[in-house]
Amino acid sequence: MPEKPQEAEVPEVMLATETAAPKRGAEEDKAGLLAVHVIRAVGVKRIFYLGGEPVNALRGVDLSVKRGEYVSIMGPSGSGKTTLFNMIGGLDKPDQGHVYIDEVDVAALDTFELAWLRCHKIGYIFQTFNLIPVASAIENVMFPMLFAGTTQAEAQQKAAELLKRVGLGARIFHKPVALSGGQQQRVAVARALANDPAIVLADEPTGNLDLHTGEEIIRMLEGLKEDFHVTVMSATHDHKMLAASDRVVYLSDGAISHIKRREELDIKFGTLQGDDKGVG
Amino acid sequence: MSSSADSGSDRAESLHGRIGHQVQLPFVNAVRIAWRNIRVRLARSLLVTSGIILALAFLTYILCSDSLARNIAEQGQTRYVEQLLKQGILADLGDADARVQTWWLVGLALLVSFVGILNAMLLSVTERFKEIGTMKCLGALDGLIVQLFLLESTFQGVVGTAIGITIGVLLTLVEGMGLYGATMWTLVPVGNMAALVGICLLAGTGLTIVGALYPAWRAAKMQPVDAMRAEI
Repeated sequence: MPEKPQEAEVPEVMLATETAAPKRGAEEDKAGLLAVHVIRAVGVKRIFYLGGEPVNALRGVDLSVKRGEYVSIMGPSGSGKTTLFNMIGGLDKPDQGHVYIDEVDVAALDTFELAWLRCHKIGYIFQTFNLIPVASAIENVMFPMLFAGTTQAEAQQKAAELLKRVGLGARIFHKPVALSGGQQQRVAVARALANDPAIVLADEPTGNLDLHTGEEIIRMLEGLKEDFHVTVMSATHDHKMLAASDRVVYLSDGAISHIKRREELDIKFGTLQGDDKGVG
Repeated sequence: MSSSADSGSDRAESLHGRIGHQVQLPFVNAVRIAWRNIRVRLARSLLVTSGIILALAFLTYILCSDSLARNIAEQGQTRYVEQLLKQGILADLGDADARVQTWWLVGLALLVSFVGILNAMLLSVTERFKEIGTMKCLGALDGLIVQLFLLESTFQGVVGTAIGITIGVLLTLVEGMGLYGATMWTLVPVGNMAALVGICLLAGTGLTIVGALYPAWRAAKMQPVDAMRAEI
């Protein structure tokens, strides 16, 4: 395990400018120590009001994710997985606490910076694929690149390469309706990687897929994590999908109940496939 | 994968790049996307466009035939004046009540087409909640969303208006031929009618853009989370 950065030196609240920590991080990275926490949630609380009644979606979540880690968030529906994902993805802001992406407080970003963050730093994969229905597979993958200012030709070339990488080389001009669920999710994976993000957030990526296809997607994510040096955070409530995880964070009723490392998982589950008894 | 397979240190360094400022999508790309959206939903687009065509054809016809009749009367073509009076056309020119009535009709036609556009664009926004949310997740700025909806509406507006105006002018001329015969061609107030066509063009296009403003604004202001959670 790489050396941990001295967390004490990282200030609690850090704005988008002039702090020494990320610089130091860069130096560490050059030295091959990719150990800086790319995601840091500190005391994140979020309250929703449903019909006037407050619902504590998150009750103070502390979580740090290292660069290159594959973290699965496990928990029943309603446990706050999606809320936590939205916070980390810069789609929502905590009522209390802070979310840092590369040590930048997401809450401190303006609209343009948030859009930039979503475009460049984060790749999203959704349960329902969320491809643009009127656009072909390659156009879907090109969208984030065009938003990032890449030229049409460059975006096209890279999108084609990415689709080939996820095994869809022959179907790049198909519209989403002409693709199976697994193929659509592959397009979504390619799209998530389009701008070389630091983090891929996958919210129940296998939720709408059958077991076999779901496993394929998870294996692919695991492989891509290595190839693209991305940090993967994946939410699931399916024990079978934990195989690729370095760590599994169990979320229950808006709080982290416990965290397991890969080694502990192995002991618990024996083989990670087909065993549905698990924790919980 | 040339750009993603940078050397390790470059890659690591880029990961630590500061949060940047999202750039505007070049206008030509926005046009391309909007154009495709129309093409894909062609049937709906044609429905909206047909409303604009009808309203603008009516407006153009009223304005141009009015202008033609006035011109003929002013040129002192007495043999036509009698006919115009008989047909009630010239009387309308002086008859304030009849004119008000005509303008009411024109106003209503425009209002109907305006409401049609508003409705179609709101529907278009509603059925694309998820798409808008996804676009925002991928880094689309609010401005782009507004641009897309306004462009879409403008395409429909310009095409509908152009067709509507053509129909209106043709109607005026065909009717003129019937009423005044071939000499009508010497009496067409070309300059005046060109100006009227210009006004109709502005009115039609303006109407569609104004009708799309609120739906576009609503789409852009939507938070991505809400947009994607929305069940339709």
